[in-house]
Amino acid sequence: MDISSWDGTISLAEFHVAARALVEKWKRVSSASPPWSWVSCPKQPWVASHEVEGYLSLENIILVSIKEEHDELLSFPQKEETSCSDKEESIDIATLVQSQSDRDEICYYDLHIVYSASYRVPVLYFRVYYSDGEPLEFEDIKKHLPAHSAKTLLDSKWTFITQEEHPYLKRPWYKLHPCGTGEWMKLLFQGDVSLARNGAAIEVYLISWLSFVGQVVGLRIPYEMLNQL
Amino acid sequence: MAAESQSPSFARKVVVHLRATGDAPILKQAKFKILGTEKFAKVIDFLRRQLHRETLFVYVNSSFAPNPDELVIDLYNNFGTFDGKLVVNYACSMAWG
Repeated sequence: MDISSWDGTISLAEFHVAARALVEKWKRVSSASPPWSWVSCPKQPWVASHEVEGYLSLENIILVSIKEEHDELLSFPQKEETSCSDKEESIDIATLVQSQSDRDEICYYDLHIVYSASYRVPVLYFRVYYSDGEPLEFEDIKKHLPAHSAKTLLDSKWTFITQEEHPYLKRPWYKLHPCGTGEWMKLLFQGDVSLARNGAAIEVYLISWLSFVGQVVGLRIPYEMLNQL
Repeated sequence: MAAESQSPSFARKVVVHLRATGDAPILKQAKFKILGTEKFAKVIDFLRRQLHRETLFVYVNSSFAPNPDELVIDLYNNFGTFDGKLVVNYACSMAWG
């Protein structure tokens, strides 16, 4: 890939390569936390028959929200002492939750990474709900975000959240609008030409991308995922 | 200041080197020290105030954006350079459209 002329976007085939790389590395590195998985979908009528359709999914997870005022970190359940680690359900090993909203309880996230053919970039779709399944209002989602992430990202013109019909599930989900993605992915990789020359850029594209967009929902990427980038 | 060589590692200061990329303005003072226990958000805020820009793109190793809640010492320990500093790149948003 010639990085100087690259516009920061990727093809559907490249998205699949990047998705596979993300799933494998995440599994290897964060074996105790819920894995990203690929969900295959029935083809849309306009997709060529040889192309695979699907998206990445990470569901039913709890994400951390460290309050600004407290300096002490909430303990990360690294040692798997808690009984919750036995349950399939949800504790992401890298995170714990500290709710900041009025309804002071744990909320769950479903995250999907879907390829946008029109923007040629991945798009993050997400939904947030309480343990009884009740979805959060957008204002409450913002309150649940880690304070710094909320400040940094919601004010940025690169990140605006809209609510749209999920392209496969046909239900309303929140989505981080993709219009700035190509631009900042190009900026990101421009700093290291050797990355592109060695052909490694696609393998790490989604991981790098996720380190940015994940912040909108407070997803922390474990260092081991980022170490060989 | 207590002698740094005797303090526990988390109390040490980390040297941060801010690197402008793209057409971002270059800071006159691009290197500074910050306590390892500070959150990365402090580095981001510092950049914003220096550059008077709200929209900043801040990343490490030309590959990822640290979560603002990460501790500077953790970032340094994992991604610091051989010569003992944490290089933080920043870019400004381009004109829209």
